[in-house]
This record gives sequence, C-alpha cells and structure tokens, in this order.
Amino acid sequence: MALLEVKNLGVRYEPRLHKPVQAVDDVSFEIAEGEFVGLIGESGSGKSTLANALLRLVERPGRISGGSIVFDGNDLATMTQDELRPYRWRDISTVFQSSMNALNPVVRVVDQFRDAIELHSDLRGDAVVDRVRQLFGMVMIEEKFLTAYPHELSGGMKQRINLALALVNKPRFVLLDEPTTGLDVVVQRSILEAVRTLQAEQKFAVLFISHDMGTVLDLSDRILVMYAGRIVEEHDSADLMRNPLHPYSKGLLGSYGDPRAQTVRITYVPGRPPDLTREHAGCLFAPRCPERIDRCLSVEPELLAVDGARVACHVAQLQAEPEDGVEVPARSAKFAGPEFVKSDDESKEALSQHAFLTLSDVSKTYRTRNGFTFSDFTAVDDVAFELRRGAVTALVGQSGSGKSTLAKLITGVEKPTAGTIMFHTREGRAIDVVGLRPGQLRDYRSKVQMVFQDPYSSLNPTKTLGYILSRPLRNFLGLSGEALKQRVEELLEKVALTPASRYRNRYAYELSGGQRQRVVIARALASNPELIVADEPISSLDVSIRAEILELLHDLVQESDVGILYITHDLLSARMLADEIIVLSQGRVVEQGRALTVIRDPSDDYTRKLLDAIPNPFDKLDRPA
Amino acid sequence: MSTGVTQPTDSSNLPVGGEELAAAEAEAVEAAGPRWWSIIWANRKARVGIVILGLYILLGVFAPWIAPYEGTRTDFEALLEPSAEHWLGTTTSGGDIASQLIWGTRVSLLVGLFGGLFATIIALVVGMISGYFEGTWIDEVLSFVTNVALVVPILPLIITLMAYTEDRSIWFTIFVIAITSWAGAARAKRSQIITLRNRDFVTAAKFSGDRSWTIVFREIMPSMSSLIMAGFFGAATGAVGAEAGLSFLGLGDTSSVSWGTMLYQANQQGALAQGLWIWLFVPGLALAILITAFTFVNFGIDLLSNPHLREDG
Repeated sequence: MALLEVKNLGVRYEPRLHKPVQAVDDVSFEIAEGEFVGLIGESGSGKSTLANALLRLVERPGRISGGSIVFDGNDLATMTQDELRPYRWRDISTVFQSSMNALNPVVRVVDQFRDAIELHSDLRGDAVVDRVRQLFGMVMIEEKFLTAYPHELSGGMKQRINLALALVNKPRFVLLDEPTTGLDVVVQRSILEAVRTLQAEQKFAVLFISHDMGTVLDLSDRILVMYAGRIVEEHDSADLMRNPLHPYSKGLLGSYGDPRAQTVRITYVPGRPPDLTREHAGCLFAPRCPERIDRCLSVEPELLAVDGARVACHVAQLQAEPEDGVEVPARSAKFAGPEFVKSDDESKEALSQHAFLTLSDVSKTYRTRNGFTFSDFTAVDDVAFELRRGAVTALVGQSGSGKSTLAKLITGVEKPTAGTIMFHTREGRAIDVVGLRPGQLRDYRSKVQMVFQDPYSSLNPTKTLGYILSRPLRNFLGLSGEALKQRVEELLEKVALTPASRYRNRYAYELSGGQRQRVVIARALASNPELIVADEPISSLDVSIRAEILELLHDLVQESDVGILYITHDLLSARMLADEIIVLSQGRVVEQGRALTVIRDPSDDYTRKLLDAIPNPFDKLDRPA
Repeated sequence: MSTGVTQPTDSSNLPVGGEELAAAEAEAVEAAGPRWWSIIWANRKARVGIVILGLYILLGVFAPWIAPYEGTRTDFEALLEPSAEHWLGTTTSGGDIASQLIWGTRVSLLVGLFGGLFATIIALVVGMISGYFEGTWIDEVLSFVTNVALVVPILPLIITLMAYTEDRSIWFTIFVIAITSWAGAARAKRSQIITLRNRDFVTAAKFSGDRSWTIVFREIMPSMSSLIMAGFFGAATGAVGAEAGLSFLGLGDTSSVSWGTMLYQANQQGALAQGLWIWLFVPGLALAILITAFTFVNFGIDLLSNPHLREDG
C-alpha cells in the first residue's frame, strides 16, 4: 500500500462576492514510501491549493469539496484538527515557499527547533541542542548560527534551516512547495543539492511542487503535471523528457533549450489559462492546443493509462489505441506551437553596429554611517562597456552583483562616484549622463526607458491601460485628442493586444502576467526611445509564456534601431535574447563577449558557476549536438 | 538579415485558431471583480451604517417639512409632557424638543461633512507632499508643522479660539475643528505614501515624464482612496463630537440649534434634577447613533483595503 493515496480530491473556493472556483478537481495520485514525486504547474493551476489541502491548511473561503487523502491508512481529509496534530511535523512536514517569513523573527533559531522536538519526542535539554547540531550539520550550516535570530541569516540559510526544521522528527512525508522560489540561482542550486542528498540518505517521501520543470525533473522519480486544477499527465521523469504525452507537458519542456547550440529554439504556449469560474466543455487546454481534434472541444478527457503513464488527452490516447474514423496527428515529443529562434549569426551582425552608450571606468560607492565610523560599500567597481544600436546586451550576475545599480546609473536615477557615461543620440548629439540636471533628466528619459521585473507592481492598478500609455505620449511627444488615441491603439496592437479598442479601457489587474508585461513594453516604446533597460522582464512570468515576451523584445530590436540592455541572472534567457553578454560579479566585469562565445567557452570561474546553475531538464539525457 | 522569428506574434498567424484565441483572450479580459460599492454593501454593519446615515441625511435635508415647528421657536408653554402637538414635550424656556432635535441634525451633519472634508484635505496635502519628498527640506518643514499640530493641547486651543472670536457662526466652528484635527491623519498619509512611492509604477510614471505633482495626486492618491475615505469618516466622527462638545461648553453658535446647544441648555436648566430626562437623553442618543453609523460605514471601507475581511460576517 502506498504511503499517501489521494483519491478524487476536490478543493473549491466560494468567496462571498465572487463566482466560485473549483481550484482542484478530481485529483488522484499515490506516493509510495521513500518516493520522490514532482508536481509541476503554472500560476493558477491549483498546485499550491493542492499542497494546502494535503496539509489540511485550506482556509475559508476554500474548502475540500470531495475525495480522500489517505495517509498510512487514515483519511486526513475528514479528521478534526485535534486528530491531525500528532501527524503534523512528526509524519508529515513541509517547507513553505517564502523562506523569509516562515521563521519566527523574535525567537532564536534553536528554540524554534526545540518546540518541534519536545512536542513529538522525549528529548529534553542538551539532547535537543545535540539533535539541532546534527540537523545543522546535515544542511551544512555552522553551529554558531544556532543562537542566531532569523534576520541575521541570508535567504539561502533560512531556507536550509526550514529544510532542517522539516526533517527534525524524521518525517515519512515532506511536502516542498516551491522551496527555492525567490532565491538566487546559485543558492537555489545548493538547496536542491541538499534536498537530493538528504532524501537519498533518509528515504522520506517527497512531493516537490514547482512551476519550473527544470528544477524538478532531475530530482524526481515521477512527475505529475497539473493544468487548470487537474492532473493532465503522470509520467516517469526520464520517460517524460523523452516522450511527453500531453501537449502541455511538451510545451513546458519546449521552453528549455540548449544555450550552447549555434541556433537555440524554444517553444511557448500561446494564450492564457482558462477562467475556472466559467462553464466549460471539453478539454480545458484545447483553446491553446496545437494538436487538438474535434473531440477535444466537446468531451472532457479522462486521466487514462497510456504506455505505462497516465494522461488526460484524447489525442495521446488515440495515438496509443487508434479508433476507426478518427484521425489524429502523428505522435511527436515536440510542442507544435509557436517557436522562438535565436541564431549566432544575428549576434555577429548586431555586434558590428555603432556604439551609442559608452561607460568608462564607472564606479559607485555607497557610504553608510555607523555611529562615528563610516563603512563604504562598492556596488559597481571600475566598469566599462558599450551598448550598440539594434543590439541586445545582457548584463548577467547574481543578486548583489551590481547589475541593478548599473541600470540606475545608466538611466540617470543615481550618479556614479567616478567615471563617465556618454549617450549619443540619433541626431548625433552627445549627452553626458553624469552631469544631467533634474530638468534635463526628464528629457533624457524620453530616450531611455525601462521595463520592470514585476508587471504586477509596475502598472498602476487604478488607471486604465489607455491612460497609462497616454502619459509618455502626452508628456514627451505632445500628442492629444484623436492623434493620442490612435497612437495608444497602435502601441497596443504592436504588442499584440488585439483588438486594441477592447483593451484601452481595461485595468491592469484584469490581465494575465504576460499581457501586463506587454503593456509595460508598450509604455516603454511610447516615447520612441533609443535604449530600453529591461530589468529581469521575464523572471516573474510563467515558464511557458516567457519566450513570448523574449520574442516581442527580439522583434523590436529587429524592426527598429533601439538597443536593449537586458539585465538577468539567467544565462539561458541571456543567450536567447542577447547578442553580447557581460558577466558581473561583485561589481566588476569578469567576462564580456559575444553571447555564444561566453556560453560555450567561459573563461571565468564565476561564469561557469552560473552556467552550472541553469536548470536544464535535458542535462541527464544526451545533449543534442 | 535573418529574422530569428518563425512565428510572428501577430495573432492571426498563430498555429491553432489564432484569431479565436485572441478573441477569447480579449473576452476573458471583460471579467472584472465586484465594484467597491457592492463590497461595502455586502457587509452587514456597513449596510446598517449606510441606512442610518441615509435617514439622518433625509431628516436634515427635509427638516423644514418634517419638523412640526421652527427649531428656534421658544414661545410655547414650558415643560409640556409629550403629546400630539409636542412629540417630545417642551423645554423650560418653551422650545419644542422634537423640532430642536430635527433641526439640530442639520448642524451636526454640516459640521461632520465639512469639518471632515477640510481636515482630510489639509491632511492629504500636507501628508502626501511631505511623504513623497521624504528626507528633503520640504518634508522637514511639513513634518515640523505636523508635529507641532500634534503636540499642541487641542481642547484649550479650541476653547481659546472660540472664546475670543466675535463671530461664532457654524462655519467658524468648522474652521476651528478642521485646523486642529488634521495632524494625526497627515502622519498616517505620510507613512502610507512612503510605502507606495517606491513601487515600480511610480518609477514608471517618472520615466513617462510625469511631474511630481501629477505623480502624487494622479498616480499615487487613487491607490489610497480607501484610506482617505476611512480618514474622512474618522474626521467627520471627530468633528460631530467636537461640535457637540463645544456647544455643550457654551462655545457654539448660539443663534442656531444643535444637539450640543440642546445639551447645554438642558444642563444649564438642571434638566436631570427636574426629571426632564427626555430633553437630556434624546440629543445624546441622536449623537451616539450618528457616530455609530459613521463607525459602521468605516467597517465597510476597511473591506476595500483588506480583502481578507470580506469573508467574515
């Protein structure tokens, strides 16, 4: 018998003022003792709701609407909270998503372990501290941090401690809900390594939830793919990579490419997830599916066994067991949807363009005062590079490497402590960015625009899209009336928000993440800028639609002579978009060159470390040449 | 030049029913959440508050038609018991208590509305500007003024202002209440805008070429509307109470009738000792219910800024 058996589980949200949502619908799966299972789904797919349901943490207005969660022979779904208490943290534990908030800020770390240990075991006093020492050793944290408060620890250390805390009573089942989200790539890598080794030693069962297939695939034995509240595919992880059955799984896999290839291709899933408050017929993925057949629009597919896996897709089922009179496309492991391609030849050509922004010997030092002494922190140290028209330059580095500071210096938000930044306009005028006065800065900004990381906070929730886009047009180009309205609609059309008239009067909160980021890009384009600084523009978007935004940016560079400074921690996306890559570490440029050259032939250790941290599901398989 | 794109973003070229997909996306956009008034109305306390407030407003607006007599008339027989002519009886000086009560509603609502409004406007301008320019000399000056206004003992100040003025009209009362009660709210708005001004959308507005004034009042202020509303109702509650208090101390507008002046008269004439409890009790009750209604409406406004509260009662 499996350790955890979930049968026909449903979770429903019934808010008083909104339409009800069936967030998890008829989900069934099993996890055996010591098994490592990955659950993949994008935002809104119901994966976190499922996690909360398994832990019985669903709160009003949500409730478990049906099904059972049988753990070791007992149904957790129907237990009272008091009956659950002995299970929690002894048999079932979890690592929550936000490492920053999961520890109590006013309690020393060791005392947080003490609570969990004393409740479930006979250990007291020094024995408890010994156990905590042992756990710290497991997650490789020095003992001196035993008596630290959470704020004295870095994000990565906190998440390691959360992991140690989850393992404190030797649980049989650990639920990891996006344990590395929000952490730096390199830190993320080290946490995942810790999970891998500890699981191999202690043999606890894991359900690892993530939106990122790359991080889950090489850890898990088996993968569950979730879409719109349902499991659409359950598959062995190695087989899933070679032979994905559901088109959505193919789409997710297609969003990874090999950055070392001469020409990189990644696919994306067009459209957006369904609105679960609406009535639907047929397969929920059908509107976005390139393989769909007529049946998909009327009959909802069931999760059935196909080739040793389970899949909820008519096409995959028919491919395995053909039916007379129903034609289906031939089976393919590739997502048949739109594809974004970047070749090295483009980069070569782009790098022959003229430079229009030149940084020479730029440094930025922040001085903080501690009582009578000052301490200096050098965020950017003697950096020099050039940006070219019609080319994309990627600035790559971990958090704290100084890449965001450089963006502030280039956009004139802050002044460097040393060095010069010269901008040459289309008209041939040279602007000394460092010497700009506040009044001139406004004018300079019509030439340098920004695309922000989080499309949820960079659009004013109280303004219509039309208003948001009209501001730069009115302020910089002096447009008004009919001409203004027309230009707003052109911008919306340009970023594929069509028909524009339907979007003009909408608010940002009514759009999906990808659509919002399109609006942000449209706003950046409004003043007809010469440089766009894009600060991690895709890192907060779902994996399956990232390529869509990359493609939009790519098209802009191809169509006009705008230059893009692409700031990122992710070398794969840098390779996808950029012609030139600049690697930053601790405020210094450690490597600089044509994108493919840097990726294939890194000369610096730090670049290699970043390359290794790229989650690539195909690492385990043979790399295509 | 090789364009690296095999599938343009143009929706008509999407592989599967691209146009259909674009239409579906555009349609999905139509689904908006509940509007703010329905959120407030969905709360039971807020509903009660709105209904009571509505009744008071009707009473105030239609006082001349509802009240049996002018509120200022004192030519009735003194100390009548409640009857059909005098619903709540008359005072020692021959005024009709019911009429005074109904006319008094006007004064209280007027003071609540304008006292609250002016105090909120001062708080907004001072708080928003000083918060947006936090750390600059503008903030230093405005914060200094706010701090002074906070520490000045307000009651003695009001009493002094009222006692030494020639013109004790209701508008002067409103003015005094407004300039003495804005400081706390200005502080709250300053700290609120400090948390909002570093949002990306504010930076984006700077990059869109907007000037500071536009950013503060057109970009940031609408995000604070529920806080401003709550502040207004808080200030209005305070203003109603302050007016009643001043009138009770004999510092109000003596030419008009308000609940405060009724209480003042009743107290002066020793109403309680004479057993004229209606005279003392009724204006107090009217005042208490109005202030409760304001507070209840504020419960509803809380729901706008904190969606978690919407699921309770």
